Amino acid sequence: MTLTSSILRNTVSRIVAVLPSLEQELNEADSKLGDGDTGGMLARVVAAIDQAGPDDGADVGVTLTGYAKATVGATGSSLGTLIATALMTASRQTKGRSEVPWVELGTILGDARDAMSARGGANLGDKTVLDALDAVAKSIAGYDQPTLIHAAALTAAKATLEEYRDRPNKMGRARMFADASKGLDDPGMLAMVRVIEAIGS
Amino acid sequence: MKKLLNSPSTYVDDVLAGLVAANPGMVLDGDSKRVIRRASGAGAGKVGIVSGGGSGHLPLFTGYVGDGLLTTCSIGNVFEGPNLASCMEAIKLADGGAGVLLLFGNYGGDKMNFAMASEMLEDEGVVARTVLGTDDIASAGPDEAAKRRGVAGLIYAYKIAGAAAEAGRNLDEVARIAQKAVDHTRTIGVALNSCQVPGAAAPNFRIADDEIEMGMGIHGEPGIWRGKLKTAAELVEEMLNRLLAELPETGGKRVSILVNGLGATPLDELFILYAEAEKRLNAAGLTIVQPLVGNYVTSMEMAGTSISLIALDDELQSLLAAPASCPFWKV
Repeated sequence: MTLTSSILRNTVSRIVAVLPSLEQELNEADSKLGDGDTGGMLARVVAAIDQAGPDDGADVGVTLTGYAKATVGATGSSLGTLIATALMTASRQTKGRSEVPWVELGTILGDARDAMSARGGANLGDKTVLDALDAVAKSIAGYDQPTLIHAAALTAAKATLEEYRDRPNKMGRARMFADASKGLDDPGMLAMVRVIEAIGS
Repeated sequence: MKKLLNSPSTYVDDVLAGLVAANPGMVLDGDSKRVIRRASGAGAGKVGIVSGGGSGHLPLFTGYVGDGLLTTCSIGNVFEGPNLASCMEAIKLADGGAGVLLLFGNYGGDKMNFAMASEMLEDEGVVARTVLGTDDIASAGPDEAAKRRGVAGLIYAYKIAGAAAEAGRNLDEVARIAQKAVDHTRTIGVALNSCQVPGAAAPNFRIADDEIEMGMGIHGEPGIWRGKLKTAAELVEEMLNRLLAELPETGGKRVSILVNGLGATPLDELFILYAEAEKRLNAAGLTIVQPLVGNYVTSMEMAGTSISLIALDDELQSLLAAPASCPFWKV
């Protein structure tokens, strides 16, 4: 079983399908900590990525580079730039291959996590999307079946969201809310859960 | 909330189209169509000054493109950083061969995109330095001053760095002067009412009709306290006390003050605030140089004000007084 550009394109389509409800939910979550536009920003990014969909059989790395370029063209927000950073990191590891073994996905996501941390300056434990990505990457290590990977990733992302809900944000605009952020879901973490749910729908 | 627009999705592009149409000294450029540059182009052999940030704050950021101020500016969606492509284009368009100074507010998306853009342009031989506006004293304590946001005081850095570049100083020198301007500037704001991003279902935050928030950021970031509305005299006294407690000593006892409207505050009220500020600064033995009163850095239709002070020495005062011209500020 391998990851291909066609699977990537189908995955994006599944996320597009849930965008209307996802956009609203994320905007509401972000409005409690920030300016309430995380959902709108993510919707623009996913729509732009969808437009950059590759041909069947395309190089996975080239496909991911196209997605990264579409992302940075759609937004300049910090979350968008971090998503593009992750996509570029993944593209470097998959360039020249039309099929990538699923078992590599955990390592690819782990490297994306590290690149995002280096670019944005957040550390694990700061209550950002990095914590969710870290949990997902670790949860799928060694798995080579998409159904198992999906189940493990969703469980890990949900558990991270729960675990961090009552902790303070330590990064970005939300860090200024510190105490007020306790009890609230981080919009990036919430987005991770909803995107993984959509992928399995 | 009612707004005059065609569509939320075309809001920024429509704003930029009108801005350049009304101001022949500005040109919309770049494949991204999210860069404003001087119509006269980058000055050959002179340091270019580049800024950028999210839309919704006019005249900041793009409004300050002009002679003696910014060379180019990239602009993002409302309250979002400028995207990578527009940052790269703005930097390239500002490069007259003497390098570029990237001068923008201390916000995550802006920092990441300008950093990526300048890293990618290093291979093309573009030399860049970065200075961040960090004037908002409400966003972090003095011990964490590097984490502070950049707000209205950023325009003093624009003016002073722009004058240094216009005078032909080299990149390291322009960057030093810009950092000096930032280090000598402090700002605090007070919000009376919220703003709403075009297309959003609700305002960014809510304040009761009889309440204000001291120190609130220009996107609704939390401030120092929220409470009942006070008189102009009481508010100005607190704001100046907080600013003066942190303002560096320059020896000359000279300051410039910016009493800034956030978008929905009448000029009448800003002048009420200025009158109070002048009395208190004079009583503190300070001489006011080149006062500014008006809407210089806004936050959509947010009601409220910010007050910025810059402590001047001879170098800063001379550069602040140098000729400059953009649609929103002439010296």
